[in-house]
Amino acid sequence: MRRYLRPVVFGLVVLVLLAIPVVAILARSYFLSPTAQPAKAQPIAFTHPFHVNTLGLDCTFCHRTATTQASAGVPALEQCMFCHRVVPTTNKPNLERLVQAFESNTPIQWNRVHQMPDHVKFVHSMHINAGFDCATCHGPVEDMATVSQFRDLRMGDCIDCHRQNNARTDCAVCHY
Amino acid sequence: MRKGAMRRRDFLKLVATSTTGAVLFTGCGIGDGDPEREFKIESPVLNPVDLVFGRDNWYATAAGECGLIVRVFEGRAKKVEGNPDFPTNLGASDARAQALVQEVYHPDRIAQPLRLSGARGSGEYQNASWEDVLTELGNDVNGARGATLVITPPLSGPMGQVVNEFVQAVDAEHVTYEPEDRIVLREAVRRVFGTDTLPTLDLANTNFLVSFSADFLHTWISPVQFSRQYGEFRQGREDVRGTYWHVSSRMDGSAANADRWLPITPGTEGLVALAMAQVMVSEGLVDRAVAEQVYSGISLDQYAPDAVAETAGISAEQITELARRFAEGQPSVAIAGSLAAAHTNGLFNLTAVFALNYLVGSVGQEGGIILNPPPPFESDVPGPSSGLPYSDWSGVVNDLNSGRYQLVIVYGVDPVYGLPEALGLREALANAGKVVALSSFLDDTTLQADLILPVHTTLESWGLIAPDPGPGFQAVALQQPVVNPFVDSRAAGDILIEAATAAGASLPWPTYEDAVRAAVDSLRQLNRGNIDAPDAKQYFVMAQAQGGWWDTSETAESAPDAPETPTPAAQPEYAGDPGQFPLYLLPFPSNSLGYGETANLPWLQALPDPMTSAVWSSWVELNPTTADRLGVDTGDVVRLVTPRGSAEVPVYVNPAAHPDVAAVPMGQGHTDFGRYAKGRGINPLDLVEPATESETGALAWAGTRVRVETTGRKVRLPRFEGQVPAFQLEGAPIIEVIPSEH
Repeated sequence: MRRYLRPVVFGLVVLVLLAIPVVAILARSYFLSPTAQPAKAQPIAFTHPFHVNTLGLDCTFCHRTATTQASAGVPALEQCMFCHRVVPTTNKPNLERLVQAFESNTPIQWNRVHQMPDHVKFVHSMHINAGFDCATCHGPVEDMATVSQFRDLRMGDCIDCHRQNNARTDCAVCHY
Repeated sequence: MRKGAMRRRDFLKLVATSTTGAVLFTGCGIGDGDPEREFKIESPVLNPVDLVFGRDNWYATAAGECGLIVRVFEGRAKKVEGNPDFPTNLGASDARAQALVQEVYHPDRIAQPLRLSGARGSGEYQNASWEDVLTELGNDVNGARGATLVITPPLSGPMGQVVNEFVQAVDAEHVTYEPEDRIVLREAVRRVFGTDTLPTLDLANTNFLVSFSADFLHTWISPVQFSRQYGEFRQGREDVRGTYWHVSSRMDGSAANADRWLPITPGTEGLVALAMAQVMVSEGLVDRAVAEQVYSGISLDQYAPDAVAETAGISAEQITELARRFAEGQPSVAIAGSLAAAHTNGLFNLTAVFALNYLVGSVGQEGGIILNPPPPFESDVPGPSSGLPYSDWSGVVNDLNSGRYQLVIVYGVDPVYGLPEALGLREALANAGKVVALSSFLDDTTLQADLILPVHTTLESWGLIAPDPGPGFQAVALQQPVVNPFVDSRAAGDILIEAATAAGASLPWPTYEDAVRAAVDSLRQLNRGNIDAPDAKQYFVMAQAQGGWWDTSETAESAPDAPETPTPAAQPEYAGDPGQFPLYLLPFPSNSLGYGETANLPWLQALPDPMTSAVWSSWVELNPTTADRLGVDTGDVVRLVTPRGSAEVPVYVNPAAHPDVAAVPMGQGHTDFGRYAKGRGINPLDLVEPATESETGALAWAGTRVRVETTGRKVRLPRFEGQVPAFQLEGAPIIEVIPSEH
């Protein structure tokens, strides 16, 4: 029996060693899952619910290139100022921050919520023009006080959705 | 085993550890970029000019009397077309409008303020900052109250208002420059039709058109408007093809389109018109009473075709036939301009021709001459006005020479080039305390400046223009910037506003754009026109989108029954003894370069002249018999000698040239004006003796005689038609030009 002890222990050690990366990757996958991330605070607490629900703005009012370009586009401050030129800013620190940034010619650096790896190309216009609603991927943004990621949006998720909708799934569709 | 050497087991351990580490750290690593940027997304401060890459935008704007639309792609103006909605041109445009994009991206455009570093006229400048030059200009304006001269084109709309306010605020004097034949035309229109605005035509319904030296398809007042109408005139009706005769001493591009061209002796347009009137009255084709009222003070019987035929250089039968066709082909129209206005009897020529329209009842009628109402501006916003006639420029030059002006501000014109050398404006500017040019290019006047402030080009500017001539009803074109300024330039209006503010005076608007917006808002308060919007902001946006404002129901008040002020008959006078100077020197506006204001644009330099197809140069058109007598042929360089001076140009032998005429295009001969214009060709105005039109005092630039001398040199005249003459092919005969039967 004793003569088997050393190989068994050796085998166990090897198994544990091999399991470490597997466990680590699975753990990362779980803990770092995009949907599991806490909502990120933004330099200006822009409220989607107010602009969408109360004012009734369409997504493309601000994200102007969603229907025509790969990137949906984040509005320039000038675009905010089209309306906020006339909206009073007193006692509204977020609006004061906006006006101050605009007047001092300082761009706003938002914290990115949706992040794709560099080797993936996602084209907004293609998906919108195929009839998908923004909310299919982004969820009910109009109800999120602070925007967080709604859907996994990793390769498995992409491929599932492509299969369900009979879209191409060859590599070059997204990796080009 | 060697001490320190790696054992197999150690090697395997190392491999296992580093592999595991590599897997682990790769798995944990996130992305490969800079985390500072990777997790950020930026809102830029200003909207990018073109939000969508790969998509173009079209913006409406205006230039001259045309409404335009401009294709803008990724922030660059790419293509200009006519605005299909704007009533003067209805989608048509011309080469000059098309070339506006070259003005924006011109390699010789002045990119920042310049201060003279060498002698005046040397062209040596050093860069300066806007802050410095505006402070300097403010101080200069403040120090030169009562001794400032402002030179601009005749400006209407908000820009005219800004200049007027500036002139008043800083106690300056204001003179305007425009091509001199335009001054005669305005006076003729004022006398014959009683309006300050130029009239338009209704060629689409005209049956017979006679033009006296007015090259209305290329250079005369509004060629885009008239060319579009001309298409309707010839081909727009199923049953009628309009008939067009042209009476002039040079065959120009319009004459070449005519059914008949009558080559007259220069300056006899008015005489032929009177002879036509005499025929129409004596043959009972028109009412004698009307004719006597129209030509009051002139005894028509003296001007029977037989009496004028010899002077006019055409036969009495031709005049009679022209008169009959004019009277019988109603609605018929007679127009005159350009060369007809540029003689010492220019006003008589024009009034006599315009008055013909009264005889056939085509003033203010369908198919006739349509008068334009005054623009819809408020009383303090200027409408169309005349430039300063040459005779008054002499006074300005005298004042400059006496040192009366400490400061001269020039904007939008190049009078040093456009007025004849004989006036001595270039030398006079040297006696001004300081010359400030608001200009985008180093033209001949700007070259005399101490300080050059670069201004926006047409496609980068705001403006509100009352087209002159308008479309027959009130219309205003809104000019808006379609691209951001390409260089560090400013709006001329803003420079004047800032200069006045720096001098302690204040103008009613913080910026020129505000002046434009205020003028548009005053249109809104009229509560009529093409725009329907609930508030001022929306109204302005609609005006921008449509390219202007117009009200088709607001036409001119009924035309007078006859010319208000009769103009006495007059003969043309010429400088130079006919023995010494046997030919008439006829400068003519170029179809592409005009009077020289667009000579800096290569597209226009390369646009062939419609008659000779010559490009990039000056030439003199001579009749083959004249050329034979001199022993010259196309390409031979000759010296043109007038009492005023001489210049050398190549010959173009043209069978359609009048034998007594040496015609030279205007537009070339700039001292500088950028690489495409500099030192190219000659300016015929340098040869012109400064005779003036007898009533208006405008320069009679066609009032000089010339002698042609050979030099023995030969050049290849650059022209589109090529250098090889046509030769006969079997079965395809060449169309030959043969003398007419008279």
